[in-house]
Amino acid sequence: MFQIKWIWENMKGYRGRYILALCMTVIGQIMYLTSPIFSQNIVDTFIYNENAAENLKNNSKLLIILCCGMVLFTLMRTVIQFNANMLYEKCSQGMLSKIRNYLLANVQKQDMTYYDRYRTGDIMTRLSGDLDMVRHSVAWIIKTLLESLVLFCSTTVFFFILDPLMALCLLALTPLIFIISGMLRKEVGPKFVDLRERLSQLNTQAQENIAGNRVVRAFAREDHEIERFQEKNSEYSEANKTASLTWLKYFPFIETTAQGLMVVHLIAGGIFVITGRLTMGEYVAFSGLIWTLSNPMRNVGALINDLQRFLASASKIIEVYYSRPIVVDRADAKEMPARLNGEIEFKNVSFSYGDTEVLKDISFKIGAGETVAIMGETGSGKTTLINLIPRLYDVNKGEVLVDGVNVRMMKLNNLRKNIGMAMQDVLLWSDTIDGNIAFGDSDMPEEDIEVFAKAADAANFVKNLSDGYDTIVGERGVGLSGGQKQRISLARALAIRPSILILDDTTSAVDLETEKHIQENLANLDFNCTKIIIAQRISSAKDADKIIILKDGMISEMGTHDELLKNKDGYYTEIYNLQQGNIE
Amino acid sequence: MARNKFDVDENLESPFDIRHLKRAMVYVGRYKWRMILSLSLSALAVIIGLFAPVITQHAIDEVIPSGDIPMLLIWAGLLLLTIVVNIILATIRSKIMTKVGQDIIFDIRSDLFEHLQRLSFEYYDSRPHGKILVRIINYVNSVSDTLSNGIITFVLELFNIVFIIVFMFAMHWKMALVVLAGVPFLMAFIMFIKNRQRKAWQAVSNKSSNLNAYLHEGIVGVKVTQLFVREDENAAIFSGLSEAYREKWMKAVTYNNLLWPTVDTISATVSACIYLVGLLVIGPASVSLGTIVAMSGYAGRFWQPILNLANLFNNFVNAVSYLERIFETLDEPIKVDDKENAETLPAIEGNVEFDKVTFAYDESKTILKDLSFSVKKGESVALVGPTGAGKTTIVNLISRFYDVNEGAVKIDGYDVADVTLKSLRSQMGIMLQDSVVFSGTIADNIRYGKLDATMDEIVAACKTVRADEFINEFPKGYDTEITEGGSTLSQGQRQLIAFARTLISDPKILVLDEATSSIDAKTEKLLQEGLDKLLEGRTSFIIAHRLSTIRNCDKIMYVANQGITECGTHDELMAKKGDYYKLCTAREREEN
Repeated sequence: MFQIKWIWENMKGYRGRYILALCMTVIGQIMYLTSPIFSQNIVDTFIYNENAAENLKNNSKLLIILCCGMVLFTLMRTVIQFNANMLYEKCSQGMLSKIRNYLLANVQKQDMTYYDRYRTGDIMTRLSGDLDMVRHSVAWIIKTLLESLVLFCSTTVFFFILDPLMALCLLALTPLIFIISGMLRKEVGPKFVDLRERLSQLNTQAQENIAGNRVVRAFAREDHEIERFQEKNSEYSEANKTASLTWLKYFPFIETTAQGLMVVHLIAGGIFVITGRLTMGEYVAFSGLIWTLSNPMRNVGALINDLQRFLASASKIIEVYYSRPIVVDRADAKEMPARLNGEIEFKNVSFSYGDTEVLKDISFKIGAGETVAIMGETGSGKTTLINLIPRLYDVNKGEVLVDGVNVRMMKLNNLRKNIGMAMQDVLLWSDTIDGNIAFGDSDMPEEDIEVFAKAADAANFVKNLSDGYDTIVGERGVGLSGGQKQRISLARALAIRPSILILDDTTSAVDLETEKHIQENLANLDFNCTKIIIAQRISSAKDADKIIILKDGMISEMGTHDELLKNKDGYYTEIYNLQQGNIE
Repeated sequence: MARNKFDVDENLESPFDIRHLKRAMVYVGRYKWRMILSLSLSALAVIIGLFAPVITQHAIDEVIPSGDIPMLLIWAGLLLLTIVVNIILATIRSKIMTKVGQDIIFDIRSDLFEHLQRLSFEYYDSRPHGKILVRIINYVNSVSDTLSNGIITFVLELFNIVFIIVFMFAMHWKMALVVLAGVPFLMAFIMFIKNRQRKAWQAVSNKSSNLNAYLHEGIVGVKVTQLFVREDENAAIFSGLSEAYREKWMKAVTYNNLLWPTVDTISATVSACIYLVGLLVIGPASVSLGTIVAMSGYAGRFWQPILNLANLFNNFVNAVSYLERIFETLDEPIKVDDKENAETLPAIEGNVEFDKVTFAYDESKTILKDLSFSVKKGESVALVGPTGAGKTTIVNLISRFYDVNEGAVKIDGYDVADVTLKSLRSQMGIMLQDSVVFSGTIADNIRYGKLDATMDEIVAACKTVRADEFINEFPKGYDTEITEGGSTLSQGQRQLIAFARTLISDPKILVLDEATSSIDAKTEKLLQEGLDKLLEGRTSFIIAHRLSTIRNCDKIMYVANQGITECGTHDELMAKKGDYYKLCTAREREEN
């Protein structure tokens, strides 16, 4: 089974300890089986013995030794078992941490297409509930399996020594357990797959509700949300019941088989005693140990059940574990200087999301230090175009070059460290404001943070917040107004002193005066930087060295402000007139 | 507002509270008949189980020595019968309890979710969303078994113990005392670890909450992480959180794992003592040897249920650490709620009045002070002013997302605080700054504004906001699935969808908070034309920076200095040469 091999791979560093724990379990189990020796001895010597009274009188030391031995033996056993358990915990937690950390790292490396396929709630389920199931199996399923095995094997050997025929009679029921378990496995497997799918859906439903809590309130859709959640809640609940009831369907048969040993023992043993094959003492010896066969037998069913659950969860995690992003460093990636110049060139670039072609045959060139504005209608491909520069997506056709080198030939880190991007959909972290600004360089000194906050015209409002730069903003920046968020996001982009600065409609929610300040500040940065600005307003675009107008994924106009205004039917002129006309 | 972040534990300073248990019992109590039924079945099973040893005993003592094989088969049949009956009872009990357990967590989860729906923005804004999520999903799952099977096991084992104690005392009270002498040691041990164990499990739940919070943000914020090449650093932070969790977990399970070896050792000691006391102290003279053997057997049967109870105790301490969190959330006060005798707001005409409104998000910083203004039905009002001045706050107060500290917000003369939230908000169309769309098809998203909207209505709304065109360009049109990754729709397109969603709800008062900021000027103009027709006779509040949007409004309010400093039409304010004039001329200078 691949899942188990995968677990074993991830146990590296803990394998030795895990095997040690398994050995300790075997020892503990054997000690458990042999512990009655002490009381047996006491009973044989001091109670049911012809010379019991005499022994007691002359040899009371032995009694005390045996009693102490009994306590010490138990103490030793529990110490061993305790340590074994702690080792299981240590190993399973170690493995859990390792897998979890790897998963987060891996999830973070996935490109945007991955996030188009998987929902947040689904990924969360895999990294929480599913992972816990895997931990549980490593910690306990294997241990229980081993304990059962030790019990079963040692007793079987003992029984065969005692009387092979009797042993065979008792073991005759064993195949039955395997047949029943096999049936259970087949039936319950899909139920667990369904169950964890329902959990994922429930998680997604709740996650989206929390993320969209403002919309829910705004539309007074609380009842509707509750209804939808209840649906998922009840589906999950039903799936849980179905899985449990499937187990309970087989449970009586497994249990009857396991306890049926007592009946077999009574019939076979009875007949053997009657026919003189067994002594009464041997019969009683068998009966005292029947549980050591029946317990493992009943455990098999429960283990198969748990195992199926483990498999359902593990395969979901493995899917994430082995996901590989499409956008990766090439093996023959070129070494580039740490700081790029910032020349950008698009050569016949086409790009589509699935079947929808978004960019068609885009070509343009931006010199280092130039400012380029991109304008165009909603959905014309502006954001897609700039996403291609830091390789959030790879082009389908053509190439994007930075400093004359195809970005696909660069190392992602090298490339991205040179690009400061403020996205349209501002995403801040639930962290302090300075933590957010210094996101790209967490060692940044306070003074620098303030410098960049000033450049983004955020310093003033930050100062007015109760905790200043230590104010914690909520997830996604809630608590700040749209314009404030945009400015923090701009400061964050500036703070890495990028050689390419990309602003995706970053000033749409700030007032005009602030926008003007920001533009002045951007023109006077103390480092060289190529700027690409997506804008809706002419005022943001007009001073650019080059203005690119996108229409349906193609460049329809390109030039300076004055050049574009010459084209009387052009989009730029139209927008210019539209916005100019408002002033009168 | 004190905000929590991923690496800050949410402290819970309440001491162990028996009320948590009582509250949990309320959920269990709903199923008391089924619980009692399964308890009875279990009790019955225990009684029937007692027959098995009797049957085997009889077989050994009488049947086998007599050599009567048919008789042996009959007794074997009897044995099989008791076994089968026992198993059937156990199965039925398990089936009942499985359902009860699931029903209990269904109930808790429903209550939790319903309560969360009534909490205001503030709750969601002040903590990472992953921490809320983990409560609804993971914590609730963790308590199911303890609250269903745990209780049954508890009662049964308790009976078992009492039963055996009575038996032991009936047999030999002195020896019985020896068996019981171990109990105080166990109690002392439990007392010793109880609080530590509880604290340890609380710490585990805290750390798991932190871990999930970071995980959630890590997934949501992945694009920023990649752009800023923060993958390694984030992974390191996450490893730190993982490590903190592991540490607390190891500590907590150490306590758990200590419990049963203690019970085992005490149990062995007690057995040894029985032999010692029985043989050496009391002496075979005054206690029969059979009694000693029997007592040592009872000691085992007495300590086994105690061992089970100890395990139960472990689960219980663990479950309580989650229950506390669940109840804490359920106890979160609802800040904005319907008053007891809240009336339904009749169909809104659209007169809005602020009557000496004072508002602060927290005590230290007043946002609005003594603000009064009135807007007549059908008027369109633009709110302008510096960011952070309180424009969004004003519109939030109209929809009663927050309650005013002083004064009143009135719609058609009704104080918004006196009407039901549902009747108020369902008549308002509020377009927020960030246009959240849900996963689902485009049509589903628009239908969110009017659950029973027909396809024609949806298309009409989309035509009004100029979204119809781009939607139809998708191969699947209105059935296109919107994904979280967001490659399907651009930000501007999302805003248009959100716009259509608001319009289809047929709002009497429309609030647009930067609703068109990501939409290009040309589309906006077309949209505006459609909107103008639609807005006729409806009151609207618009927050925007674009003058093109602002200047067409009937009334422009300049928000600054905790109130409205200027109010009038575009021409009036331009003539006044105040802040608004400055704003417009700054723009003009820029343009030329």
